[in-house]
Amino acid sequence: MPLPAESQAEARHPLVIIVDDDASVREALSELMLSAGFETVLFSSTKALLETSELDKPGCLILDVRMPGSSGLDLQRHLTTSGNPKPIIFLTAHGDIPMTVQAMKAGAVDFLTKPVRDQTLLDAVNAAIGLDTARRAEAAKIKSYVERLQTLTPREREIMSEVTRGRLNKQIAFDLGISEVTVKLHRGNLMRKMEVTTIGELIRAWEALPVRMRETSAA
Amino acid sequence: MIAALHRTPPALMLVTLAIGLAACWSAGSPFGILAPIGALFLYARGYWLLSLWGGLLIALAGTVLAAMLYPGTIRDEALSLGALVAVAGCIGLLLVPDPLRRGSRLAALHRRAARQPDGLGGYADRALDGAVHPDDRPAIAQAAAYAFWTGVPQVTSYRQREPDGSYRWTELRAEPGYGVSVDVDAMVSRPCDRWTVAESLGATVAAVKAAKVIESLHGKAWAFDAMGKFTYVTPAAQVAIDMALEDLNRRLGDREFIDGGEAGWMRGVHPDDVDKAASTLRHCLKTGEPWNIEYRMLRATGHYVWHRISARPTRDDEGRITGWFGTSIDIDVYKKTEAALRAREQHLEQLIDTVPAMIWSMTEKGHPAYLNKRIMEVTGATRETIMAPDGSLSLKKMIHPNFLDLAEQTFAKSVATGAPYNIKYLQRRADGAYRWTETRAEALRDETGKIVRWYGVSVDIHDLIVTQTELHLRKQELTRLVDLVPSHIWRLTPAGEPNFFNRRFIDFLGLDESDLETSRTERYAAALNAAIHPDDAVRLWAELKHCLLTGLPFSMRYRLRRHDGVYRWMDGRAEPLRDEDGSIIQWHGLSHDIDDQLRGEEALRESERSLRQLVETLPALIYCAAPNGEPIYRSEKLREFLGFGLGDKDEDGRTRLAGTLEAIIHPDDLPDVKEKYGLSLATGSPYAMKHRLRRADGVFRWVETRTAAMRNGEGEIVQWNGISFEIEDQVRAQEALTLTQERLARAAQAASLAELSASIAHEVNQPLAAVVANSHACQRWLTLDPPNLERAQKTVERIIRDANSAAAVVGRVRALFRQTVEARSLCRLDAILHEARDLMLEEASRRRIRIEIDIEAGLPPLALDRIQIQQVLVNLIRNGLEAMEPTQHRALHIRCARTGDLLRTEVRDTGVGIDVPDKVFEPFFSTKSNGMGMGLAISRTIIESHGGRLWAENNQPSGATFVFTLPVETKADHDR
Repeated sequence: MPLPAESQAEARHPLVIIVDDDASVREALSELMLSAGFETVLFSSTKALLETSELDKPGCLILDVRMPGSSGLDLQRHLTTSGNPKPIIFLTAHGDIPMTVQAMKAGAVDFLTKPVRDQTLLDAVNAAIGLDTARRAEAAKIKSYVERLQTLTPREREIMSEVTRGRLNKQIAFDLGISEVTVKLHRGNLMRKMEVTTIGELIRAWEALPVRMRETSAA
Repeated sequence: MIAALHRTPPALMLVTLAIGLAACWSAGSPFGILAPIGALFLYARGYWLLSLWGGLLIALAGTVLAAMLYPGTIRDEALSLGALVAVAGCIGLLLVPDPLRRGSRLAALHRRAARQPDGLGGYADRALDGAVHPDDRPAIAQAAAYAFWTGVPQVTSYRQREPDGSYRWTELRAEPGYGVSVDVDAMVSRPCDRWTVAESLGATVAAVKAAKVIESLHGKAWAFDAMGKFTYVTPAAQVAIDMALEDLNRRLGDREFIDGGEAGWMRGVHPDDVDKAASTLRHCLKTGEPWNIEYRMLRATGHYVWHRISARPTRDDEGRITGWFGTSIDIDVYKKTEAALRAREQHLEQLIDTVPAMIWSMTEKGHPAYLNKRIMEVTGATRETIMAPDGSLSLKKMIHPNFLDLAEQTFAKSVATGAPYNIKYLQRRADGAYRWTETRAEALRDETGKIVRWYGVSVDIHDLIVTQTELHLRKQELTRLVDLVPSHIWRLTPAGEPNFFNRRFIDFLGLDESDLETSRTERYAAALNAAIHPDDAVRLWAELKHCLLTGLPFSMRYRLRRHDGVYRWMDGRAEPLRDEDGSIIQWHGLSHDIDDQLRGEEALRESERSLRQLVETLPALIYCAAPNGEPIYRSEKLREFLGFGLGDKDEDGRTRLAGTLEAIIHPDDLPDVKEKYGLSLATGSPYAMKHRLRRADGVFRWVETRTAAMRNGEGEIVQWNGISFEIEDQVRAQEALTLTQERLARAAQAASLAELSASIAHEVNQPLAAVVANSHACQRWLTLDPPNLERAQKTVERIIRDANSAAAVVGRVRALFRQTVEARSLCRLDAILHEARDLMLEEASRRRIRIEIDIEAGLPPLALDRIQIQQVLVNLIRNGLEAMEPTQHRALHIRCARTGDLLRTEVRDTGVGIDVPDKVFEPFFSTKSNGMGMGLAISRTIIESHGGRLWAENNQPSGATFVFTLPVETKADHDR
């Protein structure tokens, strides 16, 4: 058993959400996840799931495609449109190609058929959790950049926008009608505030910022 | 000869005159004129004769005067003419020889004058005739005239000449007044008659003296003594009665007259009067009372003559009766006159009584004086009953109380003023009934103008009054009828002038009846002129004029203004009334107010028009048919659609219905339409059918026709009303829809099989997936270090559970295909066949395929799963229909018959047939491009589960037959 994986999973307490209308399947999958060391939460329908806040927790979704009421694909579509990037593993007894294509294009981690091999499912779950973890880390970083950006003065943001475009200090000073020294001063301040040491880091941070924020800064 | 000339007729005289004139003229001599003058003399009488003489004298005098005044030839001429005139005068003298002729007129007058006192009757004539002695004539004439003029009867004596020439004394009694003339017997005084004088007068000297005095005054007298013995009797009287004194005093019995005996004079008294005369005389003789008596006395002639006898006693100084003297007056004429008068009065009374009228009279004060017999008979009244106690008239019992006051007032007024009166009233009759009576009364006045009497006559006018009343009532009724009849009745003169309007008409026009200035005709004409609507006036007057001229009945509708100014439509009619010779007397007309009716008709017409418009413009094909189905109406749209009208398809020998149907209904639909329509016509049930209808351009269009019967109050069908909707588009859409549905169903069928398998897979897969997952989990729990046996144990339990679950799913799937016997019940196969046929009819008709069913009668019911067998049949029918898709001859035959203890059902098509009859029943075998190949397999399973067999055969020359058999005694426990 690869310990690092387990420790990683335990450390982050990833949660595997299982949605299947068949109770025996639901229980069996949960048992398998438990035996692999994941925490599970079970739902008999997507509607029941959406009524809770489990989706905000880190982890992944194991979804049965065919269910009474709203299907797995419907839930996927719902999550995508609402901006929730929860990784989804589809599980079906009788999948076909168009269904698979639709699910994968919509960003599913995997599309598996029942009965499924344990390792295949666990790999998929691990991959999904890894994806989720990475996405969450990225989101946290962007969040910190945004927070730092909030501390900048409008002039500093202006200069930051110009700098990330590759403009020279003297060009910026000319454009803004200020002295080059002042530009350098601002530049130093903003780099400190943004907690970057190199221009490259600054540019990456800039690029990581949401477009909306970049535009307001440029303006 | 002259006498002969006198007798010549005037014509001859005229001829003479003419010849004379002609001679006078031809001879040129005036002497010719003598002949006519002579002729004139022959004939002239009286005035004319005098004129002739006068003319001649004047002419003579003229000529003489002319001869004296003028000299020469004129004198000669005048002399000549004078001579002529003189000659003419001589001729005249010769021709008129009889002087009496000249005085004939005077003589006639004289004769008439002599006859004038007609009242003298024949006496004067007799006097003139010479029957009376010439010496007596003046006296008689005078007496007759006196009697006539004064009215006082005259008695006179004269000598009448007997036929032998001798004269005989006769007494004439000339009576005036009533024309009563009594020929009394003559008292003949004859010289030889015997009369005597008493020898001694005795104590009766005074009486005789008195008698003689009377005799000198009166002519007749007598005296007798106290004992009744005559001592003196006027000789004339003795002669008249032919009794001498001796005869008179002769004692005829042994007793003296005074003692009750009989004296001779009594023989001269009429036997009826003698006793009374004798007894009264005896009484007077004894008492000395004056004797006054009338009795009939026998005359010498043998006749009894009435006499009034009076006698008075003479008394001596001591008052003793010394004698009696008396006289007798001949009152025979009075008695007879009185009798005649009485008879006459009686006659009159009878006349009055028999006249059919009630005649009465009253005194000048109005007291009832006389009632004729009739009035008493009829009214039961007598003079007493209608007389009030004070003698005045009391009408209470004679007159109806209603008229009493009027009658009394009228009567009193007339009595007071003397004016005649006339009154009509109800008179009470003897039997208590009242009858109409008319009474007229006039006063009789004397010469001073004073009312002497009222004479009245009452006439029964009851019948007249009743008739009049009835007539009046009838007239009133007629008038009321004419006035109340709810029409305007009018009358025109032949010239067209209105002279009568009835009350309603007058009220309608609002005529002012009180206007009496102008005549009725003018008022009516003016009102009529004003009332006629200006738009109708010209037309109306022209028509009326035409009718008046030709005598044709008048009939017209026009508007007439009512008094309130509203014009109302009138239907006026008039016809002439003609007399016997055919000429028009007047026009009688009637105008009826038809305004409401017209408005009603107008509204009705309007409503009908709008309804018709509605029917015509409705986007539907509407028609009506007679109860036998014959078309009687088609709406505009339907006529347009068909391109022909009602009668255009009429042909000989065929009904319009048959002709029309064949012309417009699609041949494939015709039998059904005819059958269904015929059924509806026969039963009266509504008809509804979808069929193709031939449009005018020859294209058949789908229509839905619905027809229902319109019934009258008795429930009889009076008409069929039908409507056809064009449902071509709808049918097309329906067909497309059906096709789509069919494809969809087929797809669904296919899908459901896939679904079924998917579902089966899902059902089986779920537990399997659970089993697999649990197995992995179990393995992991066991491979843990240390192994988590508790969890492993739990997962194994789950594995067992899920595996069992999977097995149960498989069992359920198997059960799905297993037939359940519980669904079976006893059914009639023919009913199921019809149901299946009906289910497929729509599709068959869409595919233009007819399904014919031939089922043997009396098939036994079978224990079947109705739905499954129906599905088998539907499957076989659909297969058959689909198999015939590419072929021309299209008919599907279904036969069902019993062979032994099996019911054999065949579904035979004329399609393409089957290549391998046995393979078609294998699952997933299909000859059809879109078939799943499961239908026949399942069908065979179903039939076999019912204990039957299903197989297929190929027909010759084409098509296939699917046959299945079912055992009659299908056991319900076959599958258990």
